[in-house]
Amino acid sequence: MSSDFQYEEEDFSSSQVNTSILKRILGAVRPHWKWVLGFMVSIGVVSAMESFFTFLGKRIVDEGIIPRNTDALIHNLTIYGVVSIFFAMFVFAFIFLAGVLGQRVRYDLRKAVFDHLQTLSFSYFDKTPVGWIMSRVTSDTERMADLVTWGMLDVTWAVMNIVFALFFMATINWQLMLIVLVMIPILLRVAMWFKNKILVEYREVRKINSKITGTYNENITGVRVVKALRREEENRREFDNLAENMYRRAFRAAWLSALFLPVVQILSALAIGAILWNGGIQVNLGTMTIGGIQAFIAYVTFMMWPVQDLARVYSEMQQAVASAERFFSLMDSKPDIVNKPGATNPGTIRGDIEFDNVTFYYQPEKPVLTNFNLKVKRGETIALVGPTGGGKSTTVNLICRFYEPKEGRILIGGEDYTNYTLEAIQSRIGVVLQTPHLFSGSIRENLRYGRLGATDEEIEEAAKLAGAHDFIITLEKGYDEEVGEGGVLLSVGQKQLISLARAVLAKPEIFVMDEATSSVDTLTEALIQRGMEVLMKQSTSFIIAHRLSTIRRADRILVIEHGGISEMGSHAQLMQLRGHYYNLYTKQFRDELEAQFDPFAVPERSSLDQHLPGQVVAAGD
Amino acid sequence: MTPPVQTYQYNVRDSLSRNLLRGFWKMMTGFRKYYFIAVVALAISALMNTSSFLLVRHFVDDILPTPQVMELAPLIALAFVILAALQGTFSFVSGRFASKTAESLALRLRDAMYDHMQRLSFTYHDNMQTGELLSRSTSDIDAIRRFFSEQAIGVGRIILLFTINFVALLSLNVGLAFISVIVVPVVVLISLFFFGRISRLYERLQEQEAKLSTTLQENLSGVRVVKAFNRQDYERAKFEKQNSEQYRRGRKFLIMHSLFWPISDVVCFAQMIGGYFYAATLVINGEMTVGSYLAYVSLLTMIINPMRNLGRLIVDMSTGVVSYKRVMQVIGEEQESLVAGAHQPQADLRGDVSFEDVSFEYEENTPVLHNISFSVKAGQSVALMGSTGSGKTSLVSLLPRFYEYTSGKIALDGIELRDYPRGWLRKQIGIVEQEPFLFSRTIRENITYGVGRQVSDDEVIAAARAAAVHDVILSFPDGYNTLVGERGVTLSGGQKQRVALARTLLKNPRILLLDDATSSVDSETEDSIRQALLRLMKGRTSFVIAHRIQTVMHADLILVFDKGRIIQRGTHEELLAQPGVYRQIFELQSRIEEEVEREVSDVVGLPV
Repeated sequence: MSSDFQYEEEDFSSSQVNTSILKRILGAVRPHWKWVLGFMVSIGVVSAMESFFTFLGKRIVDEGIIPRNTDALIHNLTIYGVVSIFFAMFVFAFIFLAGVLGQRVRYDLRKAVFDHLQTLSFSYFDKTPVGWIMSRVTSDTERMADLVTWGMLDVTWAVMNIVFALFFMATINWQLMLIVLVMIPILLRVAMWFKNKILVEYREVRKINSKITGTYNENITGVRVVKALRREEENRREFDNLAENMYRRAFRAAWLSALFLPVVQILSALAIGAILWNGGIQVNLGTMTIGGIQAFIAYVTFMMWPVQDLARVYSEMQQAVASAERFFSLMDSKPDIVNKPGATNPGTIRGDIEFDNVTFYYQPEKPVLTNFNLKVKRGETIALVGPTGGGKSTTVNLICRFYEPKEGRILIGGEDYTNYTLEAIQSRIGVVLQTPHLFSGSIRENLRYGRLGATDEEIEEAAKLAGAHDFIITLEKGYDEEVGEGGVLLSVGQKQLISLARAVLAKPEIFVMDEATSSVDTLTEALIQRGMEVLMKQSTSFIIAHRLSTIRRADRILVIEHGGISEMGSHAQLMQLRGHYYNLYTKQFRDELEAQFDPFAVPERSSLDQHLPGQVVAAGD
Repeated sequence: MTPPVQTYQYNVRDSLSRNLLRGFWKMMTGFRKYYFIAVVALAISALMNTSSFLLVRHFVDDILPTPQVMELAPLIALAFVILAALQGTFSFVSGRFASKTAESLALRLRDAMYDHMQRLSFTYHDNMQTGELLSRSTSDIDAIRRFFSEQAIGVGRIILLFTINFVALLSLNVGLAFISVIVVPVVVLISLFFFGRISRLYERLQEQEAKLSTTLQENLSGVRVVKAFNRQDYERAKFEKQNSEQYRRGRKFLIMHSLFWPISDVVCFAQMIGGYFYAATLVINGEMTVGSYLAYVSLLTMIINPMRNLGRLIVDMSTGVVSYKRVMQVIGEEQESLVAGAHQPQADLRGDVSFEDVSFEYEENTPVLHNISFSVKAGQSVALMGSTGSGKTSLVSLLPRFYEYTSGKIALDGIELRDYPRGWLRKQIGIVEQEPFLFSRTIRENITYGVGRQVSDDEVIAAARAAAVHDVILSFPDGYNTLVGERGVTLSGGQKQRVALARTLLKNPRILLLDDATSSVDSETEDSIRQALLRLMKGRTSFVIAHRIQTVMHADLILVFDKGRIIQRGTHEELLAQPGVYRQIFELQSRIEEEVEREVSDVVGLPV
């Protein structure tokens, strides 16, 4: 994930909390309202009991100790004991309910957003970086879940705590309670000011931290260049600046945090001072008890915790709301390509394919295909060649209906393909990409991706047809060998063979392949060619071709340039034209001969025979 | 706020020690007094807190019952506020000094680690994974920071609170004091037990989170495959499996938490009820005052509640210690000196190079170069041909002393290569690699990277023109200020190579190492690059690794490598005159032209 996305996501637009967004966040817990009710009641009981314990402490002093009444003492302590058992039970209940619910809400949100992602069209993924989406699914869901569980819990606890404390204080002495009542808003304001400041500082720290990580990363991956260019001192100077910046921010954030509690404590101490003063006098007058003063001190001392919780939740809520806004923007995005009402699944899409005056663009001012016309016979193999950006990939993407024409139609078997369902088309197309994408898991699992119901025999059969079987059985665990994340444990050639076998297994009616440009060893290359042959025989095929052998094998070759077909015909026809194709071909021919001959690679010499005309090989012997 | 100077006045390698505590102690050089202040301030703050309890006792016992309460109550209130203010101030001072220490030590380690890594040998980096080094320099250093700012100071705080409040308890009543701390060991043990488990469960939760991310990431980057095979439902099921596992692990983690707090609550309540009862009985029997009872209630809370966190802190501290070891393990690796060398040259290199019987191995007993001998005069060019793994790249890596040869002798201008300082050598040698590494900076910064002096815009443009990349750069939105990489433009292999070429031109080295520098270049630019390379090679000793005859034929000396040995040597003409690999390659290339002709005439002759 790029570090830059991390900074961006930290920025949140709204300092004002938007109530409709809050409602939507709350919607996440609606199905689990019983759990919410459960933890709200539990935390309410817990906070009432907490205040009650302090009140009991007062009764122990006033009813038991001062009148020297052992019975009253034991009576009150018994209540204390019984309540504390219940207290522990309710503590268990609220942590369990809120905590597990939090995990559940995360699960729900992740599931919802993942499911939604599966429906979105290519155009969405083209313009949205993977890192951005990942953050929505991981960190934003977490923040939202925290807000509706722990956030709600903390607020309930804090409010109830203050209310109960005020209630008990009022029963002890209402005049003194008024002093505390005046103090609470002041405390809250100060606490919120601090928490906001601290939050802003920590956000800065995180930003710099991701920069530092990026810098480290680059210096480790580029260490050979750094050393070769002898840039150690300058790098160090640059890094020092960054690290000092980090120091300044982090230190500031740390001491602001260190200042927060003392300030709140001193404010509470002022209130306690007032209580001691006034209460002391009242004790003398007989309107206040010693236990009462003790209880007041305890209530006020404790008051800073709910206050700081309220301030914290308030500042975190702004972040959570910003998270929610991004999350819902993803949930609200609509797929561009959907089934038309009444779209059918014809059962097969074998048939001629026709581009009828198709125009397509990603951005309106830059058309990629303009009034493109093409008729392809069922079972034909079409090779697409031409420069990068000429429109080859777009053509095959349109066939796969990853995108739809902006103007004109594409007909399959004479029927506009938008009359068919997406599933009808895409489940019958086999695609092999230029850089094959494998999923972590075993080779078998990756092959089965082509047809989920395939038996092990069928998988092996497909692998044999695609020429992948031979290398697979040389692996230690054969078909059960893990391919690693994205297939890192396999070579490029091996990945290509597996993705071909996967396509073979799918038994596609249309076969689309973007040939790899990177070179693989000759043996693998021969196997890949064989695999392609299998697919080309059984389906109408469109190959973005980079290798001469592929091009030669095609029924028709299309040179695509500037959004249209500049030359079209068989190999021989196009060579005789002596145009673009001729130039392209001769250059390619020269390069391939050269690349395939390696005088040092003695053991592989034999496999060359299949590819190079005899006399060239003879030159190497 | 600039970081304290002493941050930099210490070599982190000095704290390498087998003894962990000694290591920590040494690492704190320059900050011990700050940390000491932090601890003392913490103690004073705790003392003020305890005093305020005792003040209440004094108020209740000695003032409330007397008639002077009217005059004295405001004074007591004032004293209470002053104590609170002192407590707050010292707690702030403590926090500030502790974080100053922790942040400074983190800065010290970050800097040291950064610099250290760029001075470790190539061999070290060859054997170490990027991710591993990265996590040591970021998350491990952060764990050490937390060790100093939160954990060590937190444990100190609990111990101080215990000691001070226990002494205060003793002053109230010795028997009561001892009865009141019975559960302390129990609480600590429970807390250790639970947090040990909680931290393991947390690790498992993190592991699963990583798996979930991988599944998600593969789904997103493989969206083409998913859609092409219409496997959305399959993907949903796959994600569901990971997602629900994540939920299960999160649940377990939470359940452990939801057990710990009530269980420790029950134990603490038992202690409090027992303590209250005993203390109240003492008051009823006249052995203690009411004020003392009130102080006792507060003291007891201050002793027991913090103990519940002790287990968490100790468990966290142990991860801090592991992180410290991991960081120091890297710091303990030997750096390669950039300045050491028996010969400290005053002027630039001329460029005479000779190899005498040089052998080299990356790992013991698997030599990659065997007894290599050849020599070139300053300004001449050497071409190296051979298959992958034949030792060409290893040979050129010896010259900037990226690796040290195992035996034999390499001489530069007649002086043994090992006697030159590495840093100086690398300034004299320019390298253009097959796949150059560019940094996520602007193109201009990449061109001037490592030049080591101020470079004017004109110079940069001249270099870019010479490397045939100026026009490409101007086609980017921000020209020379365009960022390279994820946040900016992605350059093709050939473009990267030309930027690297411009960089080397600016550096103006005496010896040039070109590792297959034209292989990934498309044909349009091939000629212009070849021209640029020829200009660059003029007047410098050059080592050119190449595959094509065209590239090597003008070299003064051509060396053909096979399995770490030179199997043929000579000029183009000499090598053509003898049978061998070189001639085979040459003949192949001329045959290819014939072949092209034949193919074309074959096809073109075909009836349509």
